[in-house]
Amino acid sequence: MSENVKKAPSFKQNVTEFMQKYKVGEFFQKYTMVLALVIVIAFFALRTGGKTLLPANINNLIAQNAYVFVLAAGMLLCILTGGNIDLSVGSVVCFAAAVGTVLLKAGVNMWIAVLAMLAIGLAVGAFQGFWIAKLHVPAFIATLSGMYAFRGFSNVVLGGYQVSITNQGFLDMFGGGASCYVPDYLRQLFGLENGKPNITCLAVGGLAVVIYIIMTLRKVRIQKKLQIHQSIIGTAITTLLISAVIVWLTLKLANHRGIPTVMIWICLVLGIYQYITTRTAIGRHLYAVGGNEKATALSGVKTRNVFWFAYASIGLMAGLAGILTAARARGIDPTYGEGYEMDAIASCFIGGASAYGGIGKVSGMIIGAVLMGVINQGMGILGVDSNYQKVVKGIVLLVAVMFDVLSKRQKR
Amino acid sequence: MDKKVLVSTLKKNAMLVVLVLVYLFFMVLTKGGIFRPTSFNALISQNAYVYILGCGMLMCMLTGGNIDLSCGAFVCLLGAVGGVLMVVQGWGTGVSLLLVLLIGIAYGCGLGALVAYVHVPPWIATLTGYLAFRGLGTSILRTNSPTGSIGPFPQSFLNVFSGKIFKTAEGVLNWPCLIAGIIAACLVVLLVFRTRAVRLKKGYEADSIGAAAAKSGIGAAVILLVMYKLSLAGGIPTVLLWVAGIVLIYSFITSKTTIGRHFYVVGGNIEAARLSGVNTKRIMFLAYLNMAILTSISAMTVVARFTAANADAGKNFEMDAISACVVGGVSASGGAGSILGMVIGATLIGVINLGMFQISLDANYQRVVKGFVLLAAVVFDILSKKKQS
Repeated sequence: MSENVKKAPSFKQNVTEFMQKYKVGEFFQKYTMVLALVIVIAFFALRTGGKTLLPANINNLIAQNAYVFVLAAGMLLCILTGGNIDLSVGSVVCFAAAVGTVLLKAGVNMWIAVLAMLAIGLAVGAFQGFWIAKLHVPAFIATLSGMYAFRGFSNVVLGGYQVSITNQGFLDMFGGGASCYVPDYLRQLFGLENGKPNITCLAVGGLAVVIYIIMTLRKVRIQKKLQIHQSIIGTAITTLLISAVIVWLTLKLANHRGIPTVMIWICLVLGIYQYITTRTAIGRHLYAVGGNEKATALSGVKTRNVFWFAYASIGLMAGLAGILTAARARGIDPTYGEGYEMDAIASCFIGGASAYGGIGKVSGMIIGAVLMGVINQGMGILGVDSNYQKVVKGIVLLVAVMFDVLSKRQKR
Repeated sequence: MDKKVLVSTLKKNAMLVVLVLVYLFFMVLTKGGIFRPTSFNALISQNAYVYILGCGMLMCMLTGGNIDLSCGAFVCLLGAVGGVLMVVQGWGTGVSLLLVLLIGIAYGCGLGALVAYVHVPPWIATLTGYLAFRGLGTSILRTNSPTGSIGPFPQSFLNVFSGKIFKTAEGVLNWPCLIAGIIAACLVVLLVFRTRAVRLKKGYEADSIGAAAAKSGIGAAVILLVMYKLSLAGGIPTVLLWVAGIVLIYSFITSKTTIGRHFYVVGGNIEAARLSGVNTKRIMFLAYLNMAILTSISAMTVVARFTAANADAGKNFEMDAISACVVGGVSASGGAGSILGMVIGATLIGVINLGMFQISLDANYQRVVKGFVLLAAVVFDILSKKKQS
């Protein structure tokens, strides 16, 4: 349309213009999974009569899915390198947790046990990464063999039995038992009696919102400086919505028992992985390798080290997930961790990571993990047969990936 | 010069050498237990599913390292469906088998369409089945039987997939079995020399007369030995007919037909294949349709072996089939591999499983050994290829 002609535009034109101006189509494509998440949450809230939104259930949602967030963060890096996955994480979680539990039972200091679990995870990851990076053994096969072997090893370590954890310090720190919450320091400071709402939780939530808004403002200023044009309204709306979610979550948790300790570990991991993927050279290399491995190698990136890094990192995360799993269950059983790899992989793909590598974000992965968690919990509260739960999970995964594949094809 | 030939021959048949060494190793450990006629019978009837699924998985892997993760869970679902039809509803064996096969074909078409025409990465498309089918199968079993297991299956069904042909008592020489073995051995010798003659006639490079004699001699000797042992264990297991038939058909398809060549071409370079006029989408579609059909057959053999459909049936079958292929030298990135290699790989895994079972090694260490064998086989394969090139 030329600017000189000024004619009253028809309604249809108005709509198209509006859609183009605010990029409605793009918006829907970008935020499909967020919308899906909202719909799913609303669906389960309605069907359970609001039970899923009770503070206790919100708390459980975080505590039960802690391992998914941690493992999916590691898995995301592997998937970025070219759709490679790690099938061994479930077994490594069990193995690391088994060794740690046995150590704790022997009366070893909890931090030594924690370090041992992390070290085991890292060592296994580096071992598998060695074959994948140096010898180009397909990631699928190298980790498949790890999946067999470490499940066997964990059985050997545990002697086939369940071993329980009684170390209260460990349980409190990593989210097991009734007292695994951050104590309400602020109430103590003001000399108030313990009760609801948890003031520390409110304060931390408020602080998080403030920090988030400051960071967004800083980002907007930098973008302006660099003359990157972003719709101000769009940014404002997203910021507002995310702040609202944080506030809502804070209120829910404050009315339960406060911040679960496991949330600290989740936030720590997600923060670090967000930083790695967006701000560091190795993060960029992960995307580059996934986009075009040969071109990346020819540009002077040591692609082998990138693979090694990705697999060592997921090994470390498996160690951490082992700690969280053992603490939550207050012990470990040789069958723990089965199917964890699928949860992590599904979260990444639902969150928009490309199955061919090079595309994927931590923020998307979080939405994927929450979606899986909400579906799991909602079906659990509704009392859906566990067999059908698996069916639903499978279909959700397939639909997510089909959507991804089809929408990308349209773009081309 | 002779040494060079020997080394290159050994390298070419590395997995075969490994198989022989592993077999001898367990022979010593089990004090000959693994050489007993019943062990031969067990090796075949316990691993029948690996050979059958291995053929299907090979075709999938040839197209570019694609795999099917759903086959194990699908075995469970089909077993449950077969159980409901034959045991609970009491339908005829023929009709039930046809229906099971139809379900297999329907799933194969759906899966193939997803993979080939929608371009969903195969392992994600099949991961859905992996998650969903065992759940479905288990709930079907639970709603139809209080124990969660449906059986016993009718004899007319069992006759088709399990038991023995012309069964005799153990320890009595079963003549039909032995005669079949002798015929098969003669055919192998004939085939090797005929191939050599044809190649020579067309002016291609062919094996020397000694190599041909050695090849056919070893092949014939192995067949005779296996059949002799089986004839002492009561006769030919029915399932061996299925396995042999399927292995021979796929061996023929992969080595002698155009469509078989296309699978290799697609796996070698899919873009080049498409530009040369190969219908690459159809090949991908066929690979997964074929896998689903073979899974249906495999499901029936498994159900027949246990004479019941269980929720645990088919657990880890996908891993066994993939391992058999990879150990047998099928490239994990597609385009290379043979049925004979897969058969050797499957046998190697079978021998290791049986051997570990017979020396009553702890089940947990069995998993560890299985895992490391898989890794070692692939590393070995990669290293030996590196040196050649």
